[in-house]
Amino acid sequence: MTRPLLDVRELKTHFSIGRGGFMRRKSLLRAVDGVSFSIHDGEVLSLVGESGCGKSTVGRTLTHLETATAGTAMFDGRDILNLSPAEFRPLRRDIQMVFQDPFASLNPRLSIEQMLAEPLFIHGLARDRSEARERIVATLELVGMDANSMSRYPHEFSGGQRQRIGIARVMILTPRLVIADEPVSALDVSIQAQVLNLIKRLQRDSGVSMLFISHDLGAVRHISDRVAVMYGGKLVETGKTRQIFETPRHAYTQRLLASIPRFGKRIGR
Amino acid sequence: MALLDIRKLDLSIARGGELLPVVQGVSLSVEENETLGIVGESGCGKSLTALAIMGLLEGTAVRIAGGSVHFQGWDLLALSPEERRRIMGRQMAMIFQEPMTSLNPVYRVGDQIREAILQHRSMSRRQAHERALDLLELVRIPDPARRIDSFPHQMSGGQRQRVMIAMALACDPRLLIADEPTTALDVTVQKDVLELIRGLQARTGMSVVLISHDLGVISETCDKVAVMYRGRIVEQASTSALFSNMSHPYTLGLLGSMPALDHDVEWLDAIPGRVPTLDETVLGCAFHPRCFAAKATCRTEDPGAAAVSPAHFVRCHFPQGSSS
Amino acid sequence: MSVPLSIAPVFRGRALATIGACWLLVVGIAAVGAPLLAPFDPLEFDPFVRLSSPGWPHLFGTDHFGRDSLSRAIYGARMVILIGSGSVLIALVAGGLIGMLSAYFVRLGHLLMRIVDVLMAFPALLLALVLMTLLERSVLNTVIVIGIVYATTTARIVFGMTLKLKRDVFVDAAICSGAGHASVLFRHILPNLVSPMLVQASFIFAFAQLQAAALDFLGLGLPPEVPSWGNMLSEERIYVTRAPWLLIFPGALIILSVFSMNLVGDALRDNIDPRFKDDIAGV
Ligand SMILES: Nc1ncnc2c1ncn2[C@@H]1O[C@H](COP(=O)(O)OP(=O)(O)OP(=O)(O)O)[C@@H](O)[C@H]1O
Ligand SMILES: Nc1ncnc2c1ncn2[C@@H]1O[C@H](COP(=O)(O)OP(=O)(O)O)[C@@H](O)[C@H]1O
Ligand code: SF4
Ligand SMILES: [Mg+2]
Ligand SMILES: [Mg+2]
Repeated sequence: MTRPLLDVRELKTHFSIGRGGFMRRKSLLRAVDGVSFSIHDGEVLSLVGESGCGKSTVGRTLTHLETATAGTAMFDGRDILNLSPAEFRPLRRDIQMVFQDPFASLNPRLSIEQMLAEPLFIHGLARDRSEARERIVATLELVGMDANSMSRYPHEFSGGQRQRIGIARVMILTPRLVIADEPVSALDVSIQAQVLNLIKRLQRDSGVSMLFISHDLGAVRHISDRVAVMYGGKLVETGKTRQIFETPRHAYTQRLLASIPRFGKRIGR
Repeated sequence: MALLDIRKLDLSIARGGELLPVVQGVSLSVEENETLGIVGESGCGKSLTALAIMGLLEGTAVRIAGGSVHFQGWDLLALSPEERRRIMGRQMAMIFQEPMTSLNPVYRVGDQIREAILQHRSMSRRQAHERALDLLELVRIPDPARRIDSFPHQMSGGQRQRVMIAMALACDPRLLIADEPTTALDVTVQKDVLELIRGLQARTGMSVVLISHDLGVISETCDKVAVMYRGRIVEQASTSALFSNMSHPYTLGLLGSMPALDHDVEWLDAIPGRVPTLDETVLGCAFHPRCFAAKATCRTEDPGAAAVSPAHFVRCHFPQGSSS
Repeated sequence: MSVPLSIAPVFRGRALATIGACWLLVVGIAAVGAPLLAPFDPLEFDPFVRLSSPGWPHLFGTDHFGRDSLSRAIYGARMVILIGSGSVLIALVAGGLIGMLSAYFVRLGHLLMRIVDVLMAFPALLLALVLMTLLERSVLNTVIVIGIVYATTTARIVFGMTLKLKRDVFVDAAICSGAGHASVLFRHILPNLVSPMLVQASFIFAFAQLQAAALDFLGLGLPPEVPSWGNMLSEERIYVTRAPWLLIFPGALIILSVFSMNLVGDALRDNIDPRFKDDIAGV
């Protein structure tokens, strides 16, 4: 088998919580406590689990938004966890993140054009405004948005449209790995379907690898090649999507699957 | 007569000197010990309908423009807010979507439940404390004697929603309105909360109105369903009739939007576009810009409600399902 | 660069704030047009009309040097604007920078915010007094001192707001795009601070007037010959029984103006990000 694009070994991210100081003890919250997985080129791995189990923290650690306590993450053969911020910065182009809340993740004071031009200029992918503009128009089209949205501000768009803009901001850099943290859970069901289709199509067409973080098992089944189930900061089960859904092994995975509302099943009474 | 009977309810929002209709001609009824589900995308008027039933629209920009709401035979819209509170105070309760914002962060949960009890009943503080403990036990919060002194931020999302339910149950309501009670929770907790509501219903015989945008949740918990789109009920039937013969293109669209769990589908049948905003006027059928079955008539004529079968109504010129 | 701030909704349905804004406009006009509007030279002594009561031609009466009070009051409006805008400028630039940098760079913040805390431990007037005794009386020094006093409160407030903004997801998103510190601070955080800082500015403007008046009254503020409302109060206070109008007019002007600025500030405050409302209250 070829070398995976991302290979995470024994990742730990601990937070000290509570105020330290005289006679007060800080306690340690082991949000991620020894997680290992790998993602190959063009593969979609889903990370599922209940809220607070540490899924987002995995994604945020891999993008240096949190500091890893221990472990390694080999990206394209290089450990990204012990890079300094300056060393990691050029790699940000390759490792991009889509955030959950489309209302909070777009700066209300920047127009769509300013927002999408920023990463282009930072990574030297456009020399001037007209070059940037060309690429922005193309990317907006890719996510199903009109070119004339460029001059508008985030508050003029619906949740679904904002999430498309968030996806455009990521795809405009043609990354190699996208970490999507609950990208549709803040949207309405019908809009979720639109955005899920979009993500799936973009992933297929560009062949980008993806870490898809979600607690919506329907979406996970729809989009992923493999699934990793997380519980209390640890992975309890990893497998091919079909295998996880049809023959779950771990008790927590079984409970998770049994909790999904299904048609024709009645609760209680 | 039904416990709750809503006839042709119209609600409008006052904005910039004009009244924009948000809920139009909504008729619903809920019998004793029955569960009614209301399903639809956000912005379709589900929560406003619930707030109108509860009489919580006072002091908002929303006006009741027409229709009637009868509860246990009382004409609620004819009562003054004062009378309403006196008569209805103990009979109806509501839980909201956001368990974090509906609890006051600076008071212990026990105190908040006790206040809810004392508002509706005259008893000593000691008795109210006992009752609060019972309620926490009822909603299956582990170790209630200790948890009664917790602050909201010390509880998880699921636990906070249980506390909200405990407060709603403090007065033994005959009707519980739950507005997206599990949307902010994950599936395992959602299942616990829904089971809890069903269990309490079986014990106390109360009726429930459950608002959700998840057809799966509705199908598992409700006796009958009303599908709302843009302020109107577009399809209404018993749960079994609805799921065996979905007729409105919108209902089918909601179903198609949900990824399947037991087989693979390549692409989801998403409904294109979005719910039009209040100030966007749509002529003819409000759903026609997004509808896969729309024909010329749909653009000009607003469909009326028609029966597909005796207790199954659809507002569509070209209903899908077995009849077509 | 930013979403246009609209003024209309700020005053809609707020009669008092609108009146306040109109009064401030009058003060502004008086300041700009003082040489045209003032009937007399505000500095000219006229020993024959000392302490004359309000009437013609001295509408506000004259002081114990025989200077025309109305003319002094009109020129005083210039000091209101000068002291207000000067101290607002210093407070916002210095306080804003300190607050933003302290919140963003945690280590630096520990140091800078301790200094700010120490300065804030003094009541504002006491701090201004201490600083003024070290400097000579002049318009510039008064502005600088009042600016420093309110730079401390501004730093605190901006510190708190920046801490909140720093945790916003759009900042994470900018970092993930590769944005550096300067870009995050000045392109993503600062524009979101602009409208709450404007509100803050209107309160500083108001409190600076009270500070300046108090310093004048204690004989530590503006040089005595400068026509300012505070100096008018201070110079004539011994004549309170013989010529009460000499105190009533400038006193009323100060109160009216400060009150107006606060009303406008309150109106502005209701139109900003709700998360920041509680921060602003603490001037
Ligand atoms: N600050 C706190 N102080 C005391 N107890 C806390 C605090 N935060 C959480 N807890 C308790 O720790 C336990 C785990 O909390 P956590 O929020 O991780 O739950 P969870 O598994 O995420 O639940 P849910 O899925 O319902 O949100 C709960 O019993 C909760 O009440
Ligand atoms: N910056 C932080 N400081 C302290 N605790 C944190 C921080 N970020 C996350 N946590 C905690 O780490 C755990 C995992 O969080 P997260 O990864 O966000 O969960 P989720 O799986 O729901 O996305 C949670 O208990 C959360 O409260
Ligand atoms: S009336 Fe026409 S547009 Fe409306 S739902 Fe039916 S088929 Fe679609
Ligand atoms: Mg998360
Ligand atoms: Mg709602």
